[in-house]
Amino acid sequence: MAGETVSATFDVYRFDPARDAQPRYDHYTLDLPRHTPVLSALLKIRGEIDPSLTLRYSCRSAICGSCAMQVNSKSRLACETQIGPEIERHGRIVVEPMRNQPVLRDLVVDQAPFWRQYSKIAPHLILDPRRPMPEGKENPMTPEQVEGFGETPRCIACAACYSACPAVEADPTFPGPMALAKLFRFVVDPRDTAREARLLAIQPGGLWTCLRCHLCTEACPKDVRPSERIRDLKEMAIQLQGANEPGSRHAFGFKENIRERGLLQESKLVRQTSGIAGMVSQLGQGVRIYRKKPEILGRPHRIEGQDEVEKIYAALDDGSEAPK
Amino acid sequence: MRVAYYPGCVAQESGKELDMATRWVCRALGIELVEFPTFSCCGSGFVDEANEVLNVALNARNLAIAERAGLDLLTVCSTCQGMLSLANVRLGDPKVKARVDGALKPLGIEYRGTTKVKHLLRVLVEDVGLATIRAKVVRPLDGLHVGAFYGCHLLRPADEMGSESGEEPRSFEELLAAVGATPVDYRGRVMCCGFPIQFVKPEVASSIAGRQIDDARSHGADAMATPCPLCHISLDAYQNRAAAAVGHPLSMPVFHLPQVVGLALGASPEELGLARHLVPTGPALAKIRPPARA
Amino acid sequence: MAPVPRIAARGTGRTTPIKRGSGSGAPEMRRHEVVVVGAGLAGQRAALAAVEAGRDVAVVTKLHPLRSHSGAAQGGINAALGAEDSVDTHIYDTVKGSDYLGDQDAIEFFCREAGPTVVEMEHFGTIFSRAPDGSLARRAFGGAGFPRTIYAADRTGLALLQGLWERLGTAAYTLYEEWDLTELVVRDGRVHGIVAFDRKTGEFEEIAAKSVVLATGPFGRIYGRTTNAHSCTGDGVAVAYDSGALLKDMEFVQFHPTALLESGILITEGARGEGGLLKNASGERFMSRYAPHVLELASRDVVSRAIVTEVAAGRGFDGPYGGYVHLELMHLGKEKVESRLQEIVDFSRIFADIDPVTQPIPVYPGQHYMMGGIGTNIRGETNVRGLFAAGEAACVSIHGANRLGGNSLLETLVFGKQAGLAAAEYAATAAAPELHASDLDAAVAPLRAWSARADGEDPSALRTEMQQVMDRYVGIYRDEPTLLEGLRRLRAVKARFANVRVVDRSGVYNLNLSDALETGHMLTLAETIVVGAYARTESRGAHARTDYPKRDDARWMRHTLAQKSPEGPSLSYSAVNYTRWDPKERVY
Repeated sequence: MAGETVSATFDVYRFDPARDAQPRYDHYTLDLPRHTPVLSALLKIRGEIDPSLTLRYSCRSAICGSCAMQVNSKSRLACETQIGPEIERHGRIVVEPMRNQPVLRDLVVDQAPFWRQYSKIAPHLILDPRRPMPEGKENPMTPEQVEGFGETPRCIACAACYSACPAVEADPTFPGPMALAKLFRFVVDPRDTAREARLLAIQPGGLWTCLRCHLCTEACPKDVRPSERIRDLKEMAIQLQGANEPGSRHAFGFKENIRERGLLQESKLVRQTSGIAGMVSQLGQGVRIYRKKPEILGRPHRIEGQDEVEKIYAALDDGSEAPK
Repeated sequence: MRVAYYPGCVAQESGKELDMATRWVCRALGIELVEFPTFSCCGSGFVDEANEVLNVALNARNLAIAERAGLDLLTVCSTCQGMLSLANVRLGDPKVKARVDGALKPLGIEYRGTTKVKHLLRVLVEDVGLATIRAKVVRPLDGLHVGAFYGCHLLRPADEMGSESGEEPRSFEELLAAVGATPVDYRGRVMCCGFPIQFVKPEVASSIAGRQIDDARSHGADAMATPCPLCHISLDAYQNRAAAAVGHPLSMPVFHLPQVVGLALGASPEELGLARHLVPTGPALAKIRPPARA
Repeated sequence: MAPVPRIAARGTGRTTPIKRGSGSGAPEMRRHEVVVVGAGLAGQRAALAAVEAGRDVAVVTKLHPLRSHSGAAQGGINAALGAEDSVDTHIYDTVKGSDYLGDQDAIEFFCREAGPTVVEMEHFGTIFSRAPDGSLARRAFGGAGFPRTIYAADRTGLALLQGLWERLGTAAYTLYEEWDLTELVVRDGRVHGIVAFDRKTGEFEEIAAKSVVLATGPFGRIYGRTTNAHSCTGDGVAVAYDSGALLKDMEFVQFHPTALLESGILITEGARGEGGLLKNASGERFMSRYAPHVLELASRDVVSRAIVTEVAAGRGFDGPYGGYVHLELMHLGKEKVESRLQEIVDFSRIFADIDPVTQPIPVYPGQHYMMGGIGTNIRGETNVRGLFAAGEAACVSIHGANRLGGNSLLETLVFGKQAGLAAAEYAATAAAPELHASDLDAAVAPLRAWSARADGEDPSALRTEMQQVMDRYVGIYRDEPTLLEGLRRLRAVKARFANVRVVDRSGVYNLNLSDALETGHMLTLAETIVVGAYARTESRGAHARTDYPKRDDARWMRHTLAQKSPEGPSLSYSAVNYTRWDPKERVY
């Protein structure tokens, strides 16, 4: 079950801000069964070699979310990341704290920014006094409605997604995947009465700064798939509010752009997204690119069978920009 | 081999050099590109955000076109690859399939779900094979250090894209090595280029692009290469903004995937449309050591 | 269109602990009316009740609340909700399950509260699994006469923890996150507050309180083979005992029959509820010999003893991590296993390298739950004025000598609420507490001594030795010579703890210090367990004496009470409360 023994070298990030001028990497080599979680290895190092190695951990069974950290640059739970595949792929195991959160000590990070983003989406049921819950009984909810949550109820708030997110890295005001996945959870909850208000309350760019790079979905140990729930929220936001900020205008505009000719007309897209003022501000850049690539101002050909495309649009999308 | 060639919108317009290089490489390797003037835009991720089912239906139509011709689909854009693959995945949900069939049936279109969608990177590495490519190299890119930049939608979500690891892929680096270049390992190679938010939050997009370019450079890259023309726009055409965001010049040439392969197989810069790039590729070409005389 | 409710621009509902001024003069002491220590389900429910009763509440926790061990509970929460079931049946099942040691008045109250408690949690926002008609889905659990376990896939603890945390987030209270409890200040027979240190800074502080609710959960980590999280070190229970609180029924330790071999990770009872089978090395479904009517669904102690007996008799499998049996799910089919038992599938694949769809899961009993704890009544009151307890840290007693599956999650909420209400009521009229700087100094001095030593014992090594002693000498089957030897060895380890040394000198997140503190707490609790087990010369529920194999109601139908004394735990006994059921032989 545990597999044969391998010699595993760990490079572990160490930093105590109270005592160290800068971070360093300490190296430990242990002989361990191939199927050993990184957490077990770290605890062995703590127990037998260096009791000052600091990390968060508790359940060791991937449910408490404490031990999220970077293992060979991937944000993961240490308790369910096995050393065998890491050694096979990288030869060694580099262990570092999560990203996008300040380091408190060694592998322990300050999760305040992460929790703050979670709080901002109002993570609790919002009730309407005119729609009281049934007295003494559960609210009815069908299995289909439970399925409607997707896997968002499995989230253990480990912050691996937040750590992996390049949008958070570049823009700390971005709510991040976990907060948005939680927003989805409340938006689709039949007991919640504030669906519209929740979507309206997400600040401009709050949804649309998401790059849909899916690094969060790769990192998530619980298969929550935050990037796909964010996509769902984007579509819902357009349905509810229309195209009222650059992100939704761009998506909506792109969709309408294809309705016309079947292929993207790049020049028109800027106007659809940013308006005339936007076009003017992009003028310098446009001219610069035009010199090498004159096609950006051209109109693409209309595809053959464009009538089919138009009919598909007609069947599945009414093209209205107004809220539904 | 014969494939249905799906160039995507950008390769037909401002990314024309990608189309030029693709045709050159496919001709050199005996890949016949069958063209269909009926293909529509894959949606680029934006149509998916605005209306998921519509996007699936539009791509089901694209996939049906290839299916009718009995051909696999070849893409040259990571985003097209992602979107078309996603359509196949979403059609596995009976509710989605019902709505899509409802829109396609009146048009006499039936997609049975058999079309395989393959990016040129996969075709080169898996169908043509690295050994074949290596044997056809006439100008090994010896001395050129290249940072591959995959593009998110080629890789992720990995369980839906169904080819290689979503965070630790190897195929592009193996291809680079096969044509004699030295692949550079750096974190940014699997990260985002910022393109999807270029018109939403331009400063953030530029800062992301700049970060990846800096990362490639600090790991020794002379140039970057990407299988996605949208990443190419972000990294090449918009490199000036990325440089402004990081506060120093970047001067990083960025190739399209088939341009790198084409160079090694003997294509000229003109045939590959290198003059169309915003960031001059000359400095990268100058790094290539001439092959030793036999 | 109806007006859309505004989302108030509110924060978390928690306030950040006041930053103390660093200027001259005595710093202002932290002061709250009710301090809850522990922020799992019981602690959070107590805090919510106290806030709603109008008190100034603080929650002190060494983990972020969502990391609490409550979240690891998988199988479900019991409540007689359906028309075909009755509260009386739930009561009877619990009384019988307790092997007649549970206090029946408390059990009656508990089971009556179950339905409203589960409904309340659903109203708070908990996402449960549902039946096709939209009602709460239910399944059968071991020892129950009817499927009354309400669940959320196999992560019911997580679902409840999230639901309660979300609700608590709308309440106003102060959260001291990642603070370790070191001391309870009791003077003149009443509580005055606590001493704790902030892990992030290493600073010790006292917090004055009128009432303190201890809800620090279990202490399974005194065993090496346990389903408990690493954090389950019983700090509140040990600190209470050190301050004069009585601990009740400590010798009753529940072992869960199906813990994954090697890691000890819990494979939920739900697996058996869904039709999983236990097989020995001959492929025999051996439970037919131990519980002929209900087989795998017999209560945990029955199944645990059966497995231990099978392996001891040489009918189990063997390997580098010890003997084990097989839990088989293959016959249930891929779809049922993957949809109803997702977490088990993940656990087996990730932690044991086994695919339960095609392979049997290797399991052996592991320590799982502590029936014993700080002695309380139905209101969560202890023998110390102003001190309350709830959840697994407490012993009411509901579970008596053995707990039924699904009753633990229920207990945290029912008695968490009661303790919170009682603590709030007490605080409303209690006189102001008096904490002195000397209380802080007295609490801090021993810990500082650990760090000042140039030489001494490694807390981690002491912990491992304690765990080995408990595993070997205080397990499922006990007898006098084994318990005596266990006690002797345990006391030897405890004596060495007097010389424990903390080598990490940092003030920031010093886990070495936390480890030492926890180890000390666990040694204290372990001793009360062994002493209680040694004294109880009968077998009842989870306490199985091979030298006293029968239940002896005449002499032992009573609770064990342990109180700290200079010679060690001093035992006394109290009566079990009856209402309607006379003790009978317990057969499944």
